Amino acid sequence: MEAQVVEPKAPTTSSPFLDFWKTFSSNRMAVVGLVMLVVIILVAVFAHQIAKYDVTTSADITSKDIYKPPSAENWFGTDDAGKDVFSNFVYGARISLTVGFFAAFISIFIGGLMGIVAGFYGGRVENFLMRFTDVMLVIPDLPLMVVIVAMTKPSLMNIIFVIGLLGWTTTSRIVRSQTLAVKSRKFVLRARAIGAGNWHIVVHHILPLVMPLLVVNAILVISLAILNESTLSFLGLGDPTSLSWGQMLNFAFGRGAMSAGAWWALMVPGLGIVWVVLALTLLGHGLEQVLNPRLETHHLMPGRPVIEEDAKDVHRFKKEDFPVLLEVENLSIHYVTDGKPPARAVENVGFTLHEGELLGLVGESGCGKTTLMLALLRLLPAAGQVVGGKVHFMGDDVTAMSEEELSQVRWNGISIVFQGAMNALNPVRTVGEQIAEAIIKHVALLPGDKVNDRVVELLDLVGIAADHKDHYPHQYSGGMRQRAMIAMALACNPQVVIADEPTTALDVMIQAQILELLDNLRKKLGLSIIFVTHDLGVVAEMCDSVLVMYGGVTAEYSDVDTIYNAPQHPYTQELLKAFPDLSKPDKRLASIPGYPPRLDNLPAGCRFAPRCPQAIERCHTEAPDLHILGKNHVASCHLVEG
Amino acid sequence: MKRHQYLIRKFSWALFTIAFVLVLNFFLFRVLPGDPARSGIHDPRLKKDAIEAIRVRYGLDKPVINCIAKVNPVEFGSCTVNPMETQFFIYVVNLFKGEMGISYHTNRPVSEILAEKIWNTILLIGAGQILAIILGVIFGVFAAWKARTPIDYTALLSSLLAWSLPTFWLGIILLFWGSNQGLPISGKATPGMSTMPWTDQWEDILKHMLLPTLTYTIVFMGEYMLIMRSSLLDVLSEDYILTAKAKGLSTFQILKDHALKNAMLPLVTVIAINLGFTVAGALQIETVFSWPGLGLSIFESVNRRDFPVLQGTFLLIAVSVILANLIADLTYSYLDPRVQAES
Repeated sequence: MEAQVVEPKAPTTSSPFLDFWKTFSSNRMAVVGLVMLVVIILVAVFAHQIAKYDVTTSADITSKDIYKPPSAENWFGTDDAGKDVFSNFVYGARISLTVGFFAAFISIFIGGLMGIVAGFYGGRVENFLMRFTDVMLVIPDLPLMVVIVAMTKPSLMNIIFVIGLLGWTTTSRIVRSQTLAVKSRKFVLRARAIGAGNWHIVVHHILPLVMPLLVVNAILVISLAILNESTLSFLGLGDPTSLSWGQMLNFAFGRGAMSAGAWWALMVPGLGIVWVVLALTLLGHGLEQVLNPRLETHHLMPGRPVIEEDAKDVHRFKKEDFPVLLEVENLSIHYVTDGKPPARAVENVGFTLHEGELLGLVGESGCGKTTLMLALLRLLPAAGQVVGGKVHFMGDDVTAMSEEELSQVRWNGISIVFQGAMNALNPVRTVGEQIAEAIIKHVALLPGDKVNDRVVELLDLVGIAADHKDHYPHQYSGGMRQRAMIAMALACNPQVVIADEPTTALDVMIQAQILELLDNLRKKLGLSIIFVTHDLGVVAEMCDSVLVMYGGVTAEYSDVDTIYNAPQHPYTQELLKAFPDLSKPDKRLASIPGYPPRLDNLPAGCRFAPRCPQAIERCHTEAPDLHILGKNHVASCHLVEG
Repeated sequence: MKRHQYLIRKFSWALFTIAFVLVLNFFLFRVLPGDPARSGIHDPRLKKDAIEAIRVRYGLDKPVINCIAKVNPVEFGSCTVNPMETQFFIYVVNLFKGEMGISYHTNRPVSEILAEKIWNTILLIGAGQILAIILGVIFGVFAAWKARTPIDYTALLSSLLAWSLPTFWLGIILLFWGSNQGLPISGKATPGMSTMPWTDQWEDILKHMLLPTLTYTIVFMGEYMLIMRSSLLDVLSEDYILTAKAKGLSTFQILKDHALKNAMLPLVTVIAINLGFTVAGALQIETVFSWPGLGLSIFESVNRRDFPVLQGTFLLIAVSVILANLIADLTYSYLDPRVQAES
């Protein structure tokens, strides 16, 4: 069976460098930066060919040549000494770039060495080096540079060394933390275990992984070095014999360009600095995006509009004695990414939730359970889109509601207990505040002490003492956080509570407590609950009905007795085999080989076919419809047909 | 870790750093060549008693510190001298008394000169910093909220551009522009204003502040915006924002109550780390606009070879940055309840 599981393979290219180049060249910022940088480097290298005049001689210059405006002879005018600004600019590029690159090289060498030594050796060495780095980081470096350069001979060499020797602090910190992160990786530990020496480990295992970050940092350090050189030169601390851009600005500003209205003498060298620094900044920023891509989406982005695809038959589950609270009809949800086929996360799923009912939603991870639940309150991430179906809550269509109406249904009608309560609570606000907030939002005009009473009452309901109200989430244990989440979910007396795997991260004892709590609250408050889980055992004890999902579609949906005693879908049957049966203690537990399908690369036929022990020819080519097997029982499988 | 332990650690760290700066500041000005008082005494044209007078006046007749008689070149000496009779301890004791030497240029006490100037720098940095933070946060919030839209890209590119501008050059450009607009471009006040009522005086000062503050704001706003944008993007993709949304809170409520405080935390750290750049920016801006603060004092004392003033200014700037850093740390611990839980 396992052989049939086809894992999608990444397209293979000839080298990692080519891969990198591909992503790099698709980043517009990085490419523009690189081109700008190459242009100015070429100007510096071919200065001799590009410059129109020899800037070292002042033979033919008269006082009439001073501050001449731009003309055909002097494209960018002349400076305070009557020299051609364009030619000075071209040679200035050489000096500014040389200083920048050499100084940055010194900084990066020192910082890199300190970072690797500190991260690699740890202990006292690390402590000493990082303390030293911290001290140097706090001391303002430009004033220190000014002091040192002012007290030594103003030469290009001195400036390079002063900037270089003071600019290593950020490099040292970044390299150290990256070295620390790499050091404890498996392959480094393994290399060490087979007896590789320190030098070998650093050169072959740590350096390659530190390199990308170091390159991004180096770009920043170069741009800072260039800015520092121009500032020192502007302040009159430059080498008077070499005319860098900063030095040109110093002369122009100090020698009357302003009063002569000679804007060109001030603009041109400044734009040169901006050009180089902007090039480096764009390159660095772009490289960072390439090396460390971020999705840059968030929960406040506008959701995608609902679109209707062709409607299918609706299977309604109605229990006559109980009013219907929530009805989901053939809901389909896609994740849309530019330039890729959509991921069909949920397709044609429907269910009915009655008053007081507990519905279990069962399936492996990645089956679209959470997506389905988020869609009920239109909380899908920015890429998620409802492409068909309806959600009726107490008769109103949630998919068609305005934001205003929606905010009334949220928490007031339907609330959610999220999985992983650690991150679902805001770390910088007290638990009490976060519960009170929901009450204040939805229960109109409640005086402050009433809100407070209600918070205490809610916490008491889930077994948390009132004095924990003003504590922050990090002061709670995992189980307490989950119970606080439940208390928060009950704050506005909702009709429906969705519990999305509320017990995954907890240990078994706490899990049992939470489940019991939920079940008690249901009986006490008459709640309807949708319980999302991958654990069929949990469902057996508490649920009224069960919806089994596989790969985004309904596998089987029925009441709890039918699912346990007469399961029709092979997936349900396999799930039940994986679950210990107390009446047959000798039976072996079976697990289902393989993994659920990737939602952007679904098999052509039945989504379960690649893992199904009973699959026939037809299952691999044709997707099964949802077949009605009896009152309140459906399954999507070719085998149950007819 | 308890809160008071955190505070004690931060305070002792600041004290240690200040001590380091004191030592650095002392030796820097003795190891490096260039101080006229020190290099001048090697001038062969000076008479013996003139040299002696200079040595006594600047305390150069005393050993540098126990065991070391002179630095540059190093000359070892007796280790048993009274520490209070060495240059280093005299320097430290004088500092505690608020004495930082006498200016070569004006013959006034350095501390008196600096006391006048520090308030001008604080005024300039304070105004610029507040404006830069407020605008940076506002634009950053907008850029993150409207991530991956033209608004976001414009904000991103302009902040990268602002970052790339050399501060002094932006100052020059604004000065050029301002002088055409008739704005005051130099100094802190128009001469002769001191006889006017205080409202007019302040109006005059505000006018003088306009261009320097604008320069400062443009240079630093970009970076604060970038940090705010990326930090808010991180926060807005957290699970607790989804919780807040599920609770039915409006976008405004979520930003105000759940996102801003969390996203401001990295900003506080960056403001602290950036204080060095802040000073560098002020130095350049004060030089361009002749704003009579510490930055201009550094520039002028360099040009006049007035080393007591240079030494004193550097020390004052470094200590101020360390203290400002401490304040930022304390603010952080106040804003983030988790600080107490960190190890």
